Amino acid sequence: MCYVYRKDVRVKSKLDLLQGTLDLMVLRTLSTLGPLHGYGIARRIEQVSGDRVILNQGTIYTSLVRLQQRGWISARWGVSENNRRAKYYVITRSGEKQLVAETEYWERLAAVMGRVLASERSDK
Amino acid sequence: MSRLAQWLRTLWSRCSAALRRERLDREFDEELTTHLELLVDEGRRHGLSPVDARRIALQRLGQPGVLREIHREQRAIQIIDRLTQDVKHSLRRLRQTPVFTAVVTLSLALGIGANTALFSLVDDLLLRSLPVRDPNRLVQVRQVALSFGFRKPLNAFSPQAFDTMRAHNDALSDIVGFAPMDRPAVLVDGEPEPGRDVEQVSVNFFHHLGVVPVVGRAPEPSDAAVAVVSYDWWQARFGGSSSVLGKIVTVNGQAAEIVGVAPRGFHGLATDTPSDLWIVSRNAMDLLMVARTRPGLTAAQVSAATDAVFRELALTPPGIQMETELRPAGKGMSQLRAQYEQPLVALTGLVALVLLITCTNVGTLLMVRNASRRRELTVRVALGAGKSRLVVQCLVESALLAFVGGALALAVAQWGVSILLSLLPIAAVPEGLTFQADARVVGFAVLLSLLSALLFGLAPAWRASHVDVTALRSSPGSTATTASRRVGRFLVACQVGLSVLLLVGAGLFVQTLRNLVQVDVGFNPDRLVQVVIDTRGAGYGDGDAAGAVYRLVLERLAAIPGVESVTAVRNPIMRHSLSRGMMRLPGMTLEPDEYWDEASVGPSFFETMGIPLLRGRTFAAADFAAERGRGFIVNEAWAKRYFPNDDPIAKQIGIIGVVGNARLAGVRSETAPMTFMMIPRAPDRVSALEVRASGRPTHVVAAIRDEVRRIHPRLFVDVRPMREEIARDMATERLVAGTSAFFGALGLLLVSIGIFGVASYAVAMRTNELGIRMALGAGRWTVIRESLKDTMWVLAAGSSAGTLVAVAAVRVAGSFMSDLLFGLTASDAATIAAAVLLIVAVALAACIMPARHATRIDPLRAIRCD
Repeated sequence: MCYVYRKDVRVKSKLDLLQGTLDLMVLRTLSTLGPLHGYGIARRIEQVSGDRVILNQGTIYTSLVRLQQRGWISARWGVSENNRRAKYYVITRSGEKQLVAETEYWERLAAVMGRVLASERSDK
Repeated sequence: MSRLAQWLRTLWSRCSAALRRERLDREFDEELTTHLELLVDEGRRHGLSPVDARRIALQRLGQPGVLREIHREQRAIQIIDRLTQDVKHSLRRLRQTPVFTAVVTLSLALGIGANTALFSLVDDLLLRSLPVRDPNRLVQVRQVALSFGFRKPLNAFSPQAFDTMRAHNDALSDIVGFAPMDRPAVLVDGEPEPGRDVEQVSVNFFHHLGVVPVVGRAPEPSDAAVAVVSYDWWQARFGGSSSVLGKIVTVNGQAAEIVGVAPRGFHGLATDTPSDLWIVSRNAMDLLMVARTRPGLTAAQVSAATDAVFRELALTPPGIQMETELRPAGKGMSQLRAQYEQPLVALTGLVALVLLITCTNVGTLLMVRNASRRRELTVRVALGAGKSRLVVQCLVESALLAFVGGALALAVAQWGVSILLSLLPIAAVPEGLTFQADARVVGFAVLLSLLSALLFGLAPAWRASHVDVTALRSSPGSTATTASRRVGRFLVACQVGLSVLLLVGAGLFVQTLRNLVQVDVGFNPDRLVQVVIDTRGAGYGDGDAAGAVYRLVLERLAAIPGVESVTAVRNPIMRHSLSRGMMRLPGMTLEPDEYWDEASVGPSFFETMGIPLLRGRTFAAADFAAERGRGFIVNEAWAKRYFPNDDPIAKQIGIIGVVGNARLAGVRSETAPMTFMMIPRAPDRVSALEVRASGRPTHVVAAIRDEVRRIHPRLFVDVRPMREEIARDMATERLVAGTSAFFGALGLLLVSIGIFGVASYAVAMRTNELGIRMALGAGRWTVIRESLKDTMWVLAAGSSAGTLVAVAAVRVAGSFMSDLLFGLTASDAATIAAAVLLIVAVALAACIMPARHATRIDPLRAIRCD
């Protein structure tokens, strides 16, 4: 898979995210791990991606609001491991459906992109 | 999850987010703090110093201030995007069909505009409360005398009565008095101010009503002669400057100092004549009484307490029965309201029907249009557009149409109100009674537009949500599902039914006017001119001097070229002015309160008026010369009532003649028993002269006015052809009939547009089938019949339902609108039949074009067009 793109011939060490990608990652995380607060989600994505994607952990909250507005996740207050009030996010049933659909779409797109880019490269 | 629900959910969360913005910000801060602390803990676990851990934690999280901004923005975008997209799309679609858009917005503008116009009048006359403290508790206190079979109200009370009422009546508080002045002579800085309306008020008037002057102060009991000017006059005459305070205004020779300016919008308690000036009454004038009822008391308790005080006061000689009456005054006292309440309510009903018809009509047109775009919609659904998105788009489109219509409606309303007001039989329209697009009226128009959008947008939107993608594979004709046609038919049936209702209502009012116009008033109103003279303005009271003036006027008028004859009468004709009289009839016992109408008339009254003499003779010149006229004349109704079998003249009881029945008080007045007496040679009071012209009455009107002015320039004179007086007497009916006929025509036009649309659509949808039938040899008539069959059923169903409702509605309305109906039984079968016939005729006419179109279908093309 080719996640790296070139700019001024310099390879970026961290990845800029396409719109909606972060949303999908959040959904995936919540679906796998169950209720999590913002820190937990951000941490998990960093770990799974090998610290290669996240720019600012705070960015995660934009995504969380968007997903809540669409009704794909819901939130409730709980207590964090350091004994503070924290908002825990849970994926909803329609969120699960969306996850399935988006995952499928993403895989198709990735596959197509992979093929197209591979053929371009071999042409050169 | 459907897109609509998602859209609505987003909308909801955005809206509530706006309301809860502060709380959400606080929560987000808390969330960020927790996040930061967790990051710091993580750093500490990796062995960083507390300072370094916090620095790196902040780096990893991002600037909290920036994050909060982004968070806020995210809470608020998106929906606006979605909405602008829908609006743009709808605008594009509406532009593509300019005729449709024009027809729909215009009919909405008419429907909403008519309603807004009426609302602005209803609001002014019937709904709006006075800008005073606690208007709901305000009542006008009156005494009503029951005498001569009449209810004669006693409105004005002496200062002494006011004092007693204040001292002894616990049920009333804040008792204030006021009285409009009759054509006052107002001077400011020695300059006359013609046409100003002035009220005399009690000193506590402003304090007790809770009206606080915007400039200066309210009058105090310690003041000498003081006055308060209205806001409007202050602006117009004094340029809104505070130098108005201390100016001296002279009213009928009495000077008063201006101490205050009333707040804007306060025009006094009598709303028909907005006051420019209030002067505190210092003399012993009788004033109208307005007070607040004490809270917690029932109307009966207040009335009883007030009645007791009045009885103590003994205002009238014993023997006359008096009743206390408390009339709500919180909306101001208005003759216009009393007169136009019923007509306005009736018209409101009709105009609401017009709007309902407009809405069903627009709904039908939208559906027909959407149906013709069905293929496009289906394709869009097949390409992945959410059905609910289509519904939202339909509703957005409806809302757009409604709002454009609503904006135009304000213009229509302004125009409509000025037409309505010009139909009113009043010399000057009260200032408050103009169309003002104020917040209430605009709010009403907006609300109405929204409601209409929902009403006419729902059916098409519902239909749009029932797109069947599989139908794409079959022919386009069959995608116009039967369900869509069923809804269309239902809407048309509703329209037909509503129109029947509307036309029956309008028909009854028009019929009423026709009946009134055809009433035989019993005298000849052609070439007759009525001259109403008021001598008080010229300084003559009732009495000898006034009598002399009348005789002089009578003589001078008779000398005008073109005048055939002149006579005098005590009560002006057609002004609902009546005297009552009685006498002993030998050999008959009458009820103690048996009175009948009585008129005092001058020489040659019957000849001038053209009232036929049936038996005996009329008053001769000699009778008048004899000073005390002996004998009297009765009308036919009187003779029939008291001497059904005999000749009353032969009875030798003073009856010298019998004349035909005439409606003198008003067109509606029943032909009641009436007697005619002679005016004495030197009358103390005469109100009207009747002039018979030899040519057109308008030719002598100016001459009469000039002649009266020549006798005394300040004689108040009102000269009108009798035809005009009669028309004025029917003005309310004319207004109602004219307006409702207009609404009826509007309704008919809308219905014909709707039916035309649906019939065309029905034919278009069956092009294929009709083509095959024609190819198989079906004749013209078969095709027409086939293409109209549907519409006919709809017509039949709609009109019969409408008729049933109309009969019921007329029964109900007839009971409390009897003042508006004349000469017809409420369930006038002819009117209903005519209404139904008219609708059916118009509907058929609307169907003919599409049906003819059906016969011209080319069978080959019809079959191939799939």
